[in-house]
Amino acid sequence: MEELEIREAGSEDVEQAAELIVRMKRLNGEFDPLFKVVDDAQQRAVEYLSASMGGGDRFVLVAARGKKVFGVLRAEVKDRLFYIPSKEGDITDFYILPEVRRKDVGREIVDRASQKLKAMGAEIIVAEFPAQNAIAVRFYSKRGFRAVVDIFAKEEKEEGQ
Amino acid sequence: MGSEEAPDDLSRKALEYSAYYAGKIETVPKVPVRSLDDFSVWYTPGVAAVSRKIEKEADLSFEYTNRWNTIAVLTDGSRVLGLGNIGPEASLPVMEGKALIYKYLGGVDAIPIPIRASGEDDLIRTAEALEPALGGINLEDIASPKCFGVLERLRESMKIPVWHDDQQGTAGVILAALYSALELTGRHLNQSKIVLFGSGAANIAAARLLIQAGASAGETILVDSKGVLHSEREDIDQLFLKNRWKYDMALATNSSRVKGTLRDALKDADVLIAAATPGPDVVKSEDISVMKANPVAFLLSNPVPEMWPQDAMKAGAAIVATGRSDFPNQVNNSVLFPAVFRGALDVRARTISDTMVIAAAQELAKFSKEKGLSETNIIPNMLDWNVFPAVAATIGEQAQREGLARKAGSRSELLEKAQSTMERSRRVLSLLMEKGIIRAPPEDSAAGK
Repeated sequence: MEELEIREAGSEDVEQAAELIVRMKRLNGEFDPLFKVVDDAQQRAVEYLSASMGGGDRFVLVAARGKKVFGVLRAEVKDRLFYIPSKEGDITDFYILPEVRRKDVGREIVDRASQKLKAMGAEIIVAEFPAQNAIAVRFYSKRGFRAVVDIFAKEEKEEGQ
Repeated sequence: MGSEEAPDDLSRKALEYSAYYAGKIETVPKVPVRSLDDFSVWYTPGVAAVSRKIEKEADLSFEYTNRWNTIAVLTDGSRVLGLGNIGPEASLPVMEGKALIYKYLGGVDAIPIPIRASGEDDLIRTAEALEPALGGINLEDIASPKCFGVLERLRESMKIPVWHDDQQGTAGVILAALYSALELTGRHLNQSKIVLFGSGAANIAAARLLIQAGASAGETILVDSKGVLHSEREDIDQLFLKNRWKYDMALATNSSRVKGTLRDALKDADVLIAAATPGPDVVKSEDISVMKANPVAFLLSNPVPEMWPQDAMKAGAAIVATGRSDFPNQVNNSVLFPAVFRGALDVRARTISDTMVIAAAQELAKFSKEKGLSETNIIPNMLDWNVFPAVAATIGEQAQREGLARKAGSRSELLEKAQSTMERSRRVLSLLMEKGIIRAPPEDSAAGK
């Protein structure tokens, strides 16, 4: 079987990569109701990824075999206005299909993204995911990441709702 | 178990008899009590010597007490028969019934233990705490997917066999019937495309056992209420978080990545094993007709199979089995579990491995073959008394082969031991009935029977 290749996403990958992004967002929904996914998530994911593929401070990587996309990672470089180091590389979205999990694809794509972010000036790499996602916690902890920020959320509902 | 009687009549009788007998089982002493002096031996002070001996070597509890023959029928009442989550008290009549079958067919002393448990951990802690009193545990009527985790963890942690009949028992009898059906239709397990419709405890366990017995994982396809199970199904991540066993099957099976409905999965399939939802018409003639010529169809939901057997035959099925006793080929756990535990207890097995279940299924199939395989005889029924000791001996032999037995015995010794224990159990019951100690049921008494 052909090897999985990790490469920058091209326009031909966008539909499939967007599907994976939507899967990831739905998976987030399993951890907290505040991650309930909108109906037109696929279309939004296409736009979101397309806007991240033109170079500059963001990029999208895919793990693919031929035309079939098995994994996607989106990342961007952000300024840290008050802190040193002053630039962080942020892995905002990352999903791989179950059939290629536990085969080191996750590690490879995160390593590739980290190198790329570093080359773009990032001195630290951060990853965002729901606090309840124990699998992601394990994945990143194993790779030397540690928890830095907690985001607490509270729904503000109108009286009577 | 089955009956030709109308369900209403059976319900009325069950209620009336249960009240009349106030339960189905009781404890009966097995030692002589000639006078109260005997209690000085059976109880204090004599018994202290036995306790001291066991204190030094815990496994002697199997020699000096009835532990060797005692199992618990343990449930939280979370999925009882077709009744659902009815709770532990309401599950007690069912557990008593199971204990009765264990005693009558297997000579096994089974104690019903429905517990108030809040989850998997509660069940596990209770089972582990009960271990010193038991030779084994039969988990019963526990909801899926909780039942998978409970069985898996207890098989790891306990030194006595833990069996979940809804998984291993059902899988074992399905495999036994399948061996016969494949032989009759000139097929081989490793070359057959097998579709399992329904992805609850029974079919997940059946798929796992079939694959372990040699079925091709890639050619095995599971279908549930959301359609064909495959590794890219929309709910795959939900399964990953909530039902790891089904998730694993989604990854391991269906290598051609068939998607869609039951009918899509059944195209060119050799075998359908339906344990989905009571029918009829849950499986349709058109579903059977897209399968290969002379397919095998097991339609196992009760009380009404997914499709009436005669309709399945009309649609082209060569062999049909159901879960009912009033149709030919009843795929019924009762031909397996009493014998499995008999065999496991007789060699004091540490566990009941999947390969032991496969050996038992092969023994059941062999028994049917010796009796004369036909399209209406692919699996023994409960009146085939000789099958029980044969399966028990096979379990004992296989446990020894796998290094899981703490007691040794040749096949003939195991056969004899199983036979005598089973016969004794039935003889005691007959005697109690003959002597009128167990009274005739109320309406028979009234009719002077």
